Amino acid sequence: MYNSKVRGKLIEGDKSLGQISQEILAPIHRKKPPLWWYAALLVSLSMFGFGLYAKYVTISTGIGTWGVNNSIAWGWAIINFVWWIGIGHAGTAFSIFLLILRQKWRTAINRAAEAMTVVAVFCASLFPLLHMGRPWLFFWIFPYPNTRGPLWVNFNSPLFWDFVAISAYLLISASFWYFGMVPDFATIRDTAKSKVKKAVYGFFSFGWTGSSKEWLRFEGLSFVLGGIAAVLVVSVHSIVSTDFAVSVKPGWHTTIFPPYFVVGAIFSGFAMVLTLVITMRGLYKMNDFITDSHVDAVCRILIFISLIMGTAYVTEVFMAWYSANDYEFSLFFKTRLFGEYAFQFWAMFIANAVIPQLFWFKAVRRRMWVVFVISIIINIGMWFERFNIVVTSLSRDYLPSAWASYSPTWVEIAFFTGTIGMFITGVLLFFRYIPMIAISELKSVAKFDKPNNGQLKSTGHE
Amino acid sequence: MSKKYILGVFNDEATLVDAFEKIKAKGILPTEVYTPYPIHEILEGMGKKTRITHAAFFYGLFAAVGILSFLTYAAVIDWPLHYGGKPFNAFPSFIVVTIVATILSITLLTLFTFSARAKIFPGKKADIFHERATDDKFVIVLDPEKLGDNAKAVEEIIREHGEVE
Repeated sequence: MYNSKVRGKLIEGDKSLGQISQEILAPIHRKKPPLWWYAALLVSLSMFGFGLYAKYVTISTGIGTWGVNNSIAWGWAIINFVWWIGIGHAGTAFSIFLLILRQKWRTAINRAAEAMTVVAVFCASLFPLLHMGRPWLFFWIFPYPNTRGPLWVNFNSPLFWDFVAISAYLLISASFWYFGMVPDFATIRDTAKSKVKKAVYGFFSFGWTGSSKEWLRFEGLSFVLGGIAAVLVVSVHSIVSTDFAVSVKPGWHTTIFPPYFVVGAIFSGFAMVLTLVITMRGLYKMNDFITDSHVDAVCRILIFISLIMGTAYVTEVFMAWYSANDYEFSLFFKTRLFGEYAFQFWAMFIANAVIPQLFWFKAVRRRMWVVFVISIIINIGMWFERFNIVVTSLSRDYLPSAWASYSPTWVEIAFFTGTIGMFITGVLLFFRYIPMIAISELKSVAKFDKPNNGQLKSTGHE
Repeated sequence: MSKKYILGVFNDEATLVDAFEKIKAKGILPTEVYTPYPIHEILEGMGKKTRITHAAFFYGLFAAVGILSFLTYAAVIDWPLHYGGKPFNAFPSFIVVTIVATILSITLLTLFTFSARAKIFPGKKADIFHERATDDKFVIVLDPEKLGDNAKAVEEIIREHGEVE
């Protein structure tokens, strides 16, 4: 194993293994969560309720309650769908890519990133469901023998690919996350004092004991799941991008879309991870596990991804000019850069390509509140990016008679607010009931902070 | 558990591995080793191998062939339809679904295999030898009947860094 001194310590404060489990499990073992937790839950649940009401209105009255029209048929629903899926990319990206790159600092963050993934993908999946118009018939998208006419679904349609990709992603990331937690649930079972907790976590720990047989197969399983989930990181958002790129619309019909979407997804996901871990540091004092150098490492990755994003934006604009295609040119220069949607374009550009460049400065990376604010700005910027892609291309089609404008109604806004509420609720429950850092994984890297890597004899690999 | 076992309890990975190797040098294989996290020396030393990766490969192979055949059957043989002038057998566009659904099949089947083989399933009651093996203790479980004449020597090895319980 390579050990560099560059990263700083993985765990601060020279903790024993017992201390590690104790400190991470403290929020679960305490009898009642703090007052702010209840307050936050109340707020997020009321947002969630507001969203439920919007869903009720959508289902009982119809899509007509949204601001979408014949030309701009994909409004906020698809913007938010792509936005949430993008955020949901961080979990797999974090666990898998950093696993492949043998980055040990991932152990402190991957659990939170994966939790976020599961909740975000769940939020995302609601949007296409309700956008179908008759969500109670959603099962028509399954390819099963039926009596409706064209027997099978259209396997050439990116919308079907998307359905397969999202449901697979939800199932796989949830199971990957869950099986990673089984050993930690066993730790809770064996350290909990209350009988109820012992029983509940005992049930969910699947009878885990930590024997060598279990660990052996567990390692084999992580190897397999990690290996194939790496394909998912790239494939899911590439498929989402084909929803756009396979169509023939100015600004969509480009080969840059799949990589551009994947990188954008990882960008917003990592930004949301930063938001989340800084919250964990602030509220639960996890500073010893998620150290300054962890945050620093994520910031450095964000600089790099931000540069790729900037390059992608400029490439698109350049190609619109260089292709000499009138429709592309008019879309980019008369609608996006300067025109009806100029604000959204420049908001996207500044928030994603310019502001994250502040991370070049150590003074910025060290100040947690600045990092926190920038991480939020990136997520807003990524939302504007999706707005840019979805709305501008649809608003300026080939025929001027089909041109239209779009603004959301309160129902769409409430729906979106509802998913944010759902996300925050999910995160709060995660804080309370699930070890927010992978304990067993963290313990396995604890020895690297000790002299001689914790070996009795020096291994000679220093 | 009615049977009596000897437990060697250690505080860290290094002393556990050291004792494990010394016990093995005596020609004794511990019944089981319990640790808070996977330790590769132990996993290799216990002499067991997992074939879960091989299983996963074959699941993937069968899933990929099965899904691709289903798509071809549905779109070409059973109910051919023209979509935008594409051929019935639009092979490249079938690949997308094949890849994703194959990954899903591998994941689920491998999970079930893991659950069945490692006997890990919801609500199973854990056979706990030592309460803190999932927290901060490293435990070697030995069957006293298999120790024979070496019992004393093994106990000494354990006592060097750990405790006998």
